[in-house]
Amino acid sequence: MDYFQIIQYVANSYYNRGLELARERDLSGAAGYLKRALQFNKYHMDARNLLGLIFYEMGETSDALIQWVISVNLQPDRNPADHYLDEVQRKQGQLEVASQTIRKYNQALLHAQSGSDDLAVLQLKRIVEEKPNFVKAHLLLAVLYMAHEDYTKAGKSLLKVLQIDKNNEKAGRYMEYVKARTGKADVERRKLKNAFSHREMEDDDVILPPTYKESTGWQAIVNMVIGLVLGVVVVLFLIRPAWERSLNYDHNQEMQEFADKLNMANQEADNLRQQIAQYQEDKERTEASLNSLAGDSDSTLSQYQTLVRILDAYRGNDFQTAVQLYIDMDPSRITDESMADILNRLKADMDANAPAVLESLAASATAAGNADLALHYYEKYMEMNDRNPQIIYNMAMIYKAKGDEDTADQLFGQVIMNFSDSALAARAKEQRGY
Amino acid sequence: MINFEEEIDRFRPSLEVEEVSDAIVKTDLTDMTDIMMEIMKAVKDN
Repeated sequence: MDYFQIIQYVANSYYNRGLELARERDLSGAAGYLKRALQFNKYHMDARNLLGLIFYEMGETSDALIQWVISVNLQPDRNPADHYLDEVQRKQGQLEVASQTIRKYNQALLHAQSGSDDLAVLQLKRIVEEKPNFVKAHLLLAVLYMAHEDYTKAGKSLLKVLQIDKNNEKAGRYMEYVKARTGKADVERRKLKNAFSHREMEDDDVILPPTYKESTGWQAIVNMVIGLVLGVVVVLFLIRPAWERSLNYDHNQEMQEFADKLNMANQEADNLRQQIAQYQEDKERTEASLNSLAGDSDSTLSQYQTLVRILDAYRGNDFQTAVQLYIDMDPSRITDESMADILNRLKADMDANAPAVLESLAASATAAGNADLALHYYEKYMEMNDRNPQIIYNMAMIYKAKGDEDTADQLFGQVIMNFSDSALAARAKEQRGY
Repeated sequence: MINFEEEIDRFRPSLEVEEVSDAIVKTDLTDMTDIMMEIMKAVKDN
């Protein structure tokens, strides 16, 4: 057997002893053996995990985390420590609570060491309420109680420690001290003495219960009456309330079922109402859409009709009508892709040739005294070409004739500023009174 | 007889959760196997 095998055996032996003590709830004893096992073999996963569990059981969460993290790092595959870490971290806020408890304990210890025993006791009482397995907190609390000669409370704290860690050295020592001052030690000593002071029983010995007596006739009747009375009392005070409770429970269950059904029905009604509202909304939207397709002169259908009429005018070589129709058409309503090419060609032709027609139409309207129609044609002209000073000047003159001096001045101003070299600029200045 | 002052002074603060990572880094993980390896290496070198 080589040295390494020997080391392995020693580590295993320590681990086995530690496991045995842990099963007997001698946690501090077990921890000692497990630490030894790890000193011989740091890779002993079971020893390290069990040591972590013992720390956790004694309320030392940080020490437990250290062991489990190291364990997972040394042995990442199929390591139960992974699960322990997951458990501690997964439960909502558990790690935060543990952290706060440790902080509170350290603060309480500081109070105790600086002589503020009352504060320390208050703090420690809260800690052991929150974390009943925090051994160190129980021990410190016990010492503080003992220091103030409150041996009963100290005894209770120590008892809790011994329930968690059976052979805790400090708790055992303190308990001896407490027992010596509460008289418990004497009682236990006497019990122990009595346990070994009885004589051995012999075959002829009969054990009679101290309360045993022969019953007489009238005693039997009295006993029966007492039995009956007790039976009635049991029925009245034990069976009947239970029966009433059962009835109430059934009734409540029934009510709950009705309430559930009612809630379901209400929910269904709400859903149906929502569906109706949705359908109504869809209907209105569809109607609005239909109206925009076929309704007034701006509707999509109307735009298609105008386009057909323009194409007819082209076929009849009536370009003027085509222009008149085109300027009032809204091509954006025609979204059909197959019409895009026709619209593009139409636009190109109109941009090139429509202004001259519009100028002629406007001049005719002016001559006929229809100023508004003339302005309409000029505006459409401007949408295609806004760089003709003659058109701007003509518009200004119409506005002036209509008495709209402001608009007329603004248009004259455009001619003066933007076309200062033209002859119209001088005439526009005259019109403005320069 | 227990001296309470001394007993209380013997209590040590618990390790806080925030200090766990530092504590892991500082943990000495040398075990008997490591020591044995060192000894054997030293013997071999000599």
